[in-house]
Amino acid sequence: MLRNALTLTAAVAALLSPVLSSGPARADDYPSRPIEVIATFGAGGGADLMARQFARLAEPHLRVAMPVVNVSGASGNAGLTRVLTNPADGYTVGTLIALSVSSWASGLGTAKPDNFVYVAMMQNSPSMLYVSKNSPFKTYEEFADHAKANPGKLRVATSGYGTQDDITLKYLGTQGVPVTNVPFARPSERYASPIGGHTDAIYEEPGDVAQFLKSGDLRPIVVFDKQRHPSFPNVPASAELGLDIGDLPNFRTLAVPASTPPERVQKLHEAAAKVLASPEWKTFCADTYTCVDTLVTPDQAKEEVKAFYETVKGYLDRFATKTVGQTPG
Amino acid sequence: MDILANLAGGFAGALDPYNFVLLVSGLMIGVVAGALPGISFVNAMAIALPFTYLLPPVTAMSFLGGIYVGGVFGGSISSILINIPGTPASLPSCWDGYPMTRKGLSSRALSIAITASAFGGLASALLLTFGAPPFASFALKFDQPEFFAATILGLVSVIAIAKDAPLMSAVSMFLGLLIGTVGVDPMYGMPRLTLGVPDLESGINFTVVMIGLFAIGEVVDLICKRAGGARSIATKPGKQIGLSDLWRIKSSILRGTGLGCTIGVIPGAGATVGSVIAYSVEKQASGKGDRFGTGVEEGLAAPEAAKNATTGTAMIPLLTLGIPGSAATAIMLAAMLIHGLNPGPLLFTSNATLVYTIFASMLIANLLMIVAAMGVARVFSTLMRVPPAILGAFIIVLSVVGAYGVRNNLFDVYVCLAFGIAGYVMKRTGFPPAPLVVGVILGPLCERYFLTSLANYDGNMTVFFTRPISGTILALAAAFLVWSMWPSGKPLLRRPPKDPAQGDPAHSDPANRNPPRKEPPQRVLKA
Repeated sequence: MLRNALTLTAAVAALLSPVLSSGPARADDYPSRPIEVIATFGAGGGADLMARQFARLAEPHLRVAMPVVNVSGASGNAGLTRVLTNPADGYTVGTLIALSVSSWASGLGTAKPDNFVYVAMMQNSPSMLYVSKNSPFKTYEEFADHAKANPGKLRVATSGYGTQDDITLKYLGTQGVPVTNVPFARPSERYASPIGGHTDAIYEEPGDVAQFLKSGDLRPIVVFDKQRHPSFPNVPASAELGLDIGDLPNFRTLAVPASTPPERVQKLHEAAAKVLASPEWKTFCADTYTCVDTLVTPDQAKEEVKAFYETVKGYLDRFATKTVGQTPG
Repeated sequence: MDILANLAGGFAGALDPYNFVLLVSGLMIGVVAGALPGISFVNAMAIALPFTYLLPPVTAMSFLGGIYVGGVFGGSISSILINIPGTPASLPSCWDGYPMTRKGLSSRALSIAITASAFGGLASALLLTFGAPPFASFALKFDQPEFFAATILGLVSVIAIAKDAPLMSAVSMFLGLLIGTVGVDPMYGMPRLTLGVPDLESGINFTVVMIGLFAIGEVVDLICKRAGGARSIATKPGKQIGLSDLWRIKSSILRGTGLGCTIGVIPGAGATVGSVIAYSVEKQASGKGDRFGTGVEEGLAAPEAAKNATTGTAMIPLLTLGIPGSAATAIMLAAMLIHGLNPGPLLFTSNATLVYTIFASMLIANLLMIVAAMGVARVFSTLMRVPPAILGAFIIVLSVVGAYGVRNNLFDVYVCLAFGIAGYVMKRTGFPPAPLVVGVILGPLCERYFLTSLANYDGNMTVFFTRPISGTILALAAAFLVWSMWPSGKPLLRRPPKDPAQGDPAHSDPANRNPPRKEPPQRVLKA
């Protein structure tokens, strides 16, 4: 009896989605037990906060507990491996952010954008370049002129080599603005360095440095996007300055393995949609400058992630050949 | 005056029954979690974090602050009673605390540890209350070269604290540094020494190493000895301490407190670095260095004071700059952000009540800790009376859970068990495991600071010496190394210097300046 039901649902599920290999499928009372939310970065970071806010606000809609577990390491890939190796039954949801996708493009980990279904695009934000309040540079032009006159002398704090930060700085280098990338693995040290005067600027998304923006310790000079950021109408967009690097947004999605039964993905997506529409989330995303204006379907989200992956790969190929060409031997 | 008025409001807030009850519960949870080998206060805070969503922001912070203060101390209970550090920061408390227990002075050792910790914590909380802004600007002066110099000082300390075998300690420390390099490198993302095992890409976590070497290694050794009464020593109460005893070791407590407060405010250093450096400084400064490791009270008091003295000042960069300096303060940051509070300079004006309630809670927590810790220590002393086999099984279960809980990763459990075997072998052969752990903790930090310094200063190595703070710390480290090697006599001075901080080979002057010394003290920890 039970076996029959299982085969039947499996058959139906298989009909619904050709991608589906072997989803465990009971007659669907999903969710009937707690859903584990895996934050793929440590406590206090952007992915962690998103996971915790989502879990808190989605619990009433899904009517189960949603414990958040931090599995950090390897640019989020440690946690994503956990998402992929747990049963694809919708009881494990992970945070999947732009940084992890660009790490795949640079060869870290074995995951690919097609391994996941993207339940929802929760947050999205362009990055900006900021200087300290005591900086002599008032505008991006002043910064760029100084960099041109003193190649490599201006130091920019970033999250590492091979990241979007690095790509952007390398791109600036090709545009005649050569600056030095100073990677700080720990966010706290990264933020402290321009404020303490140890570096000249910092590349970061606005939400992560919101407290310094509000206090005035950091001042944005350019937003890397096609248009200006609604919360920073006075900060020029890179496109206006003739810089063609507005295609590296910091998005944060929630993802489940690709073989998760579609109706469960749909339930999660609906819950996420309700969360995104809630006033609490609106306040949260406004505070972190990460609001996604229109609801993105899982299919659209996958397209965005894939496009991002290809973009990063394209940049890396472009810059990698350059570096190799310049290195003697 | 303004501060005092605000603080009065803060005390009113902290003593609100609801807040107070949660502060005390946090404190108790922290002490117990800290004391259980394998479960650190960071684990406890991470587990408690989701519960704080339901609490008002002030209560949430008091609760987490309680766990933090209690947990940083709690680890010492197991260090002193069973020679297993409950948290990494309590590692130095094993070195003179456990020998006291072996002499039957366990409650004396505990009293000293609790008083020193509470004093350090209280002083630190007062600094937090009255000196937050100036201290915050001091913390900002620290750039990567300064962090690098501080980690070098920590590593040098390891050799300085070596009880009787500086060479073996150095070997052990370098082994730790090697283990610390396993995983994806911090700068270029290249996997190193991963042997093709994907799990090793995230590196080997120092807490896992510590649990393996100390908790599991110790238990296996204990069970192998099959000596039923081996633990009965812990039950002897020993002489209680009086105020005059504390007065005698006041300078140790003060030195530890000063060091701890300073180290705490530096983002990234934290309680472990503080207590290790305090122990080695104390070994030189107390004038009893040759007897350290045999149960010297100064050697217990200084690291205890230093460890808890980091708790208050570690909150300074968090609250004033929004920069969490350690794992524990990162969790506090998460709790604040989830409540919509942005730490930073604005917090002091926009949420003064909250800030001063946190200050008041930290002050109260440190006072209450004396009572809470005494209570938990008493229960733990009773635990020591259970047969070793049962106690051992209990500790192994906790260790496995703790190793898993560090990163929610099963692979860490295997790593922990492997280090457990290594720990047993080390114990049997007399190879010191503590320098290895310090190497694993400080190695990756040291490397990262070194590489980032070079990236930030055009690959110019001289920055470490020319920047005033960094240069001073490195000079201190060099002086320290010479000072600690001095009494070890001629054979050691002939060895080439091993430490990058002390690149000057002038120290290895072969002239025999020291008369032959008496035999070094017997190793107390030897099985």
